[in-house]
Amino acid sequence: MNDLYLARTAHSPEVDFRFSSHELTLTGEAYPENAADFFQPLLSALEGYLRGVDGQEIHINFRLTYFNSAATKMLYSMFELLNETACTSNRVILNWFHDEEDDTILEFGEGVHDDFSALDFRPVAVDLATA
Amino acid sequence: MQLDLFSVFRNTADFNGVLFYYNGDLSQNVIATMGDALKQRLESQDTGGPKARKLFSSFIEMVQNALHYSPPVPGTNAQRVGAVAVGKQGDKFYIVCGNLVESRHIQRIRDKIEPLQAMTLDQIKQAYREQLKADHSGDTVSKGAGLGFLTLARDASEPIEYSLVEMPENRDVAYFYLKATV
Repeated sequence: MNDLYLARTAHSPEVDFRFSSHELTLTGEAYPENAADFFQPLLSALEGYLRGVDGQEIHINFRLTYFNSAATKMLYSMFELLNETACTSNRVILNWFHDEEDDTILEFGEGVHDDFSALDFRPVAVDLATA
Repeated sequence: MQLDLFSVFRNTADFNGVLFYYNGDLSQNVIATMGDALKQRLESQDTGGPKARKLFSSFIEMVQNALHYSPPVPGTNAQRVGAVAVGKQGDKFYIVCGNLVESRHIQRIRDKIEPLQAMTLDQIKQAYREQLKADHSGDTVSKGAGLGFLTLARDASEPIEYSLVEMPENRDVAYFYLKATV
């Protein structure tokens, strides 16, 4: 399974999926014109990766600061895949980075935590003004 | 346009607290550029944190909605147009957006917005979460999985407003105006 890297653009996040070290990171903002076109290949790659791992500890670093409604839906599909594997085959740690000044991302993360309870949800407060 | 008319236009915008106004081609690049301009404008006015984030979010949802639903300009290669203004009155910001929509979408728009206008913030948050978990594979019209207006309503401090103006000379399209206050 090859690692997957996409550089950040004005409306899409940096994608750094290091399948080889089981560490997947999303950083930046996500409001592509067509969220499905952007996220589908990521979901396919993730699905392929998850089919080939068992008994691993997978680290997800969620560092998105903004995602539009269409991206939100696609992110939910991603969490669904991760939750499935966490129920059956792998341990998934979800590091949830959020601005200490703004509760929105944290609140959204708590919703994710409620909906996908097999994920080991770990909120991490950061000061985005200096980050 | 005569200069005195432009002066009236500019004064009216000033009087209504307009921070910026755009009318023309909508594309993803134009949207990203305007989004950046809006962020910088807010930073320079020391509007940060949750309010700036909500305003940016509402702005993106509205202009992407316009980009998605407006019909292509006849005789162009899928070019879309729309008008958007962001302004400030008192301590609240507003965004207004206007674009053409195909008449076949009118009922859908009404059905989505009207229930939101009567809901409390808690009800909106609840509906948002339910919509997020629902399966939308059958919905081929929406790109936002039906979350767009809910996202707007969630971030707004007043009910979202809309108006649909039919065009007697062309029954296939109508003008759709949308306003969100943050």
